[in-house]
Amino acid sequence: MMKKTEETEGKNPFKIPDNYFEEVNRKIISATAGYEPEVKKTGVYRRLRPYMAVAASVAVLVMLSFVALRLFQPEKTTQQVSEIIYSESTESYFDDIDISTIEQNAASIDIYDEVPDVSNQEIIDYLLLDNVEISDIYNQL
Amino acid sequence: MLVEKYSSRLYWHIRRLVILHEDADDALQNTFINAWKAMGDFRNESSLYTWLYTIATNEALTLINKRKKNETVSIDDLAGYFAGSHEGSTWFDGDEAQVKLQNAILKLPDKQRVVFNMKYFEEMTYEKMSQVLKTSEGALKASYHHAVKKIEKFLGED
Repeated sequence: MMKKTEETEGKNPFKIPDNYFEEVNRKIISATAGYEPEVKKTGVYRRLRPYMAVAASVAVLVMLSFVALRLFQPEKTTQQVSEIIYSESTESYFDDIDISTIEQNAASIDIYDEVPDVSNQEIIDYLLLDNVEISDIYNQL
Repeated sequence: MLVEKYSSRLYWHIRRLVILHEDADDALQNTFINAWKAMGDFRNESSLYTWLYTIATNEALTLINKRKKNETVSIDDLAGYFAGSHEGSTWFDGDEAQVKLQNAILKLPDKQRVVFNMKYFEEMTYEKMSQVLKTSEGALKASYHHAVKKIEKFLGED
């Protein structure tokens, strides 16, 4: 920085008339007394803008949280999915059918209806073809 | 009161730029009237003084540009003012060194003159100057450096 010398710094070389500041202050105050400061009118949008900004920020935050939860939530395993499907389907099945109906249906089933009509001799022949000992066959009979 | 608090500091800032008392007086009054009219634009981002100081600087520069355009006051006129041969010279009472320094400052381009005055006489920080002149601190430092070199050269010539 350029150093101030005693010669240049000394007293202020610029002069002003006596009582200048008292005079000019009066002039300025009387000159400004006639003016009204311009106050800019603020519209509805300008006044609501901060609140709208906050609302928009909250909305964006909620959306981001929702997307993040969807993206980063651990996926269900195949087993868990099949268990859910099984439990849901069986529950709904038993909800729909009356238990007494099931008991009646069960009682009416003749289990011997399903046994094939095969004679003992045919069974023995089949087992002999399969190299089963005849003594073993008779033990079972 | 705002006017009483700041008028003196603003006057001397303007006076160093425009030199003539009558011009400084006009610019000072315009500064307060324009500031009053534009009070709605004032934001608390800067201090009230910095805001007024910015308006005062603009008023001074506008006045200097008007003088150039209308060729009402030349550098020679101002040199005569410092030398005591110009009308109104009663408002300048500098010794030989001060006259030389003021003549050297007069020869600077406007921007460098403003920066030099703010730094050398008012000891303003580059940060504050940057707010007032809307110029980067780096550019202001460069301006001041060039201004000092020119003044030193001018003073060394005699």
